Amino acid sequence: MKKKSLTLAQRLNRESTAGVVCSLPFIIGFLFFMIVPMGISLYYSFCDYNILSPPEFVGLKNYIQMFTADDRFWKSIGVTFYFALVSVPLRLIFALIVAMILVKGSKASPFYRAVYYLPSIIGGSVAVSILWKRMFATDGVINQILGMFGLPDNTSWLGQTSTAIWTLIILAVWQFGSSMLIFLSALKQIPAELYEAANVDGANGIQKFFRITLPLLTPTIFFNLVMQMINGFLAFTQCYIITQGKPMDSTLFFTVYTYQQSFEFYKTGYAAGMAWVMLLIVGLVTLVLFATKRFWVYDEGN
Amino acid sequence: MKKKVLAALLAGAMVVSLAACGNSGGGSKDGDSGSDSSSSMVVSWWGNQTRNDRTTEVINMYLEDHPGLSIDGQFSEWDDYWNKLATSSAGNALPDVMQMDYMYLDQYVDNGLLLDLTPYIEDGTLDMSNVPENIQESQKVDGKTYAISLGTNANAMFYNKTALDEAGITVKDNMTLDEFVDLCKEVKEKTGLRTNLGYSVESLPEFWCRADDIVLYGDGKLGVDSPDQLQTIFDLEKQGIEEGWHLDPSVFTEITLKSTEQDPLVYGTDPDRMSWCAFSTSNQLTAVQNAAPEGMEIGITTWPSPDPAKSNYLKPSQLFSVSANCEDPDAAVEFINWFINDEACNKVLLGERGVPISTAISDAIASELSETDQAVVAYINDVVTPNSSPINPPAPAGANEFYDILTNLEEQVLYGQLEPADAAQQLFDQGNAALASAQ
Repeated sequence: MKKKSLTLAQRLNRESTAGVVCSLPFIIGFLFFMIVPMGISLYYSFCDYNILSPPEFVGLKNYIQMFTADDRFWKSIGVTFYFALVSVPLRLIFALIVAMILVKGSKASPFYRAVYYLPSIIGGSVAVSILWKRMFATDGVINQILGMFGLPDNTSWLGQTSTAIWTLIILAVWQFGSSMLIFLSALKQIPAELYEAANVDGANGIQKFFRITLPLLTPTIFFNLVMQMINGFLAFTQCYIITQGKPMDSTLFFTVYTYQQSFEFYKTGYAAGMAWVMLLIVGLVTLVLFATKRFWVYDEGN
Repeated sequence: MKKKVLAALLAGAMVVSLAACGNSGGGSKDGDSGSDSSSSMVVSWWGNQTRNDRTTEVINMYLEDHPGLSIDGQFSEWDDYWNKLATSSAGNALPDVMQMDYMYLDQYVDNGLLLDLTPYIEDGTLDMSNVPENIQESQKVDGKTYAISLGTNANAMFYNKTALDEAGITVKDNMTLDEFVDLCKEVKEKTGLRTNLGYSVESLPEFWCRADDIVLYGDGKLGVDSPDQLQTIFDLEKQGIEEGWHLDPSVFTEITLKSTEQDPLVYGTDPDRMSWCAFSTSNQLTAVQNAAPEGMEIGITTWPSPDPAKSNYLKPSQLFSVSANCEDPDAAVEFINWFINDEACNKVLLGERGVPISTAISDAIASELSETDQAVVAYINDVVTPNSSPINPPAPAGANEFYDILTNLEEQVLYGQLEPADAAQQLFDQGNAALASAQ
């Protein structure tokens, strides 16, 4: 009875209406700019589609070719895994070390916090990528610094398959700022009593780190690991600007290869299929991480 | 980062989905085209800053004579241009007049995206009376004209004339490959400069195949019967690396390939990591000369070939096409006609896209050209034209992938990871597969 008698004004006045209206920009954006395009790309992945002419349904052809006849596809998966699995742990270790130093607190630490955070903001940009390319050139500043110490100064860092990927990894590790800030706040939340108690028991610094700090940080490490891993798999700009996959595909990221398929070879259907494979890979990796969670992540609740 | 890539991917998907909406919109639009006194037109092109400035200026000149008309001039860099054009074609939203390249012409014609201009040439709306027959022929696809060349170019090898003069070395036009290799060795010995043997210059194998009367791109397959007809480039690269006159391949990882400013001919500090020559096209001379360090004069000559007269060709590289969906084709054609035949217009453009195809116009602007531009005109008219053969048909879809395979194989040969014969075999197999799958 009550329901029936609601007037329009009353309906509009309900809290849930306000909620829906306020989140409408997101809902519309999500539907039209996420769900719809994703659906379309899923459809295209089963098509021969070269942008210029209408898509033509071909079933699983793209996926079959990808998994059976495309060496570069596998190569790019290998490179992407290598990059993500090396750069992410390195970045987290680095972030944790710097956070441990900064948490000690001095008057200058806010300044250092800001300075160390800077690379995270600018590190993914085109400008820094170009700068990086120049720095690691044979006549670049890295070699000049090495030369000052009497070390060999004519290494072509970008020109060798063994070193080129490392220029990209170093660039990724350098962007440790956001992980560092998260570690920093987590470190500050560790109760001081625990350390005091440990001091009373005569524990040394290393014992305190491994018995108190690290276990209490595991939830934060887990969060960082998941987020950064996803980032790592989807890295694009650095490779696209700095190496273009060279030399000999030793730095060919999956995303860059996808881009090439779509916009250089006009195989947009194939590229859409690759994008879905990447989505599955990232989903799977995240799933695996969550599955291992209970073995190593400290959960205060239990 | 993740968000950015996701955003980029989604943006791509979004463009496509929006384009799909545009599809139906475009259809209804066609119905009400016509008797508006004010009309508008989109003209698009790719290019450098000089081209953008000059083209914008002539468009404004044109608008002054055509009150009521408005033209939206859109320009982008080469790579972006083709991405943009492809996505707008998916939405039936191609620009009315668009700059077309010979490399892409076939794909656009095949998909029915371009207007057949032949009737306009026949009824004289497009005045081709001053355009030599061979140039008119070179821009045709299957006997029909879909694009009008805005300037004639040719493949050209640029070289560091200053360094070679100092060493007492002269470069002659129409070198054979053997003469070229000897020259490379001599230059390395006397100046220390190495050679960039056209790594990432995709049309080199096609150029050399022409010497054997082979058209490299056939219908859904390569025009060569056996891999060894593709082996020349790999053989030379291996020889160059072994004998020490070719650039170390690591040089190519430190520059942006195809950037004029970063070409090893003009970019670098160490002669051992620089090249004395660059494989390019004639209309790039001004840009290369501008990019060269102070005091370096750039010379221009033909690409070496076993048979230069067969290999050389005149190339309509910058063309104007009209969209098949253009609402007012007459206005678009009138604009193109003015662009190629109007003297005042071309005195602003000054052959930046190549030597104007109308002989009347190229004579009219000759006196206003800079020294470098005059060198280009002389190269086209005196060196290439008398010693060349008709151009091959435009490369089919799938050629882009062939180019990529070629570049990857060249890289492996330069790094010593692959023998020339194996590289040729792979290029043959994978190239055929790429062309077949793009059919």
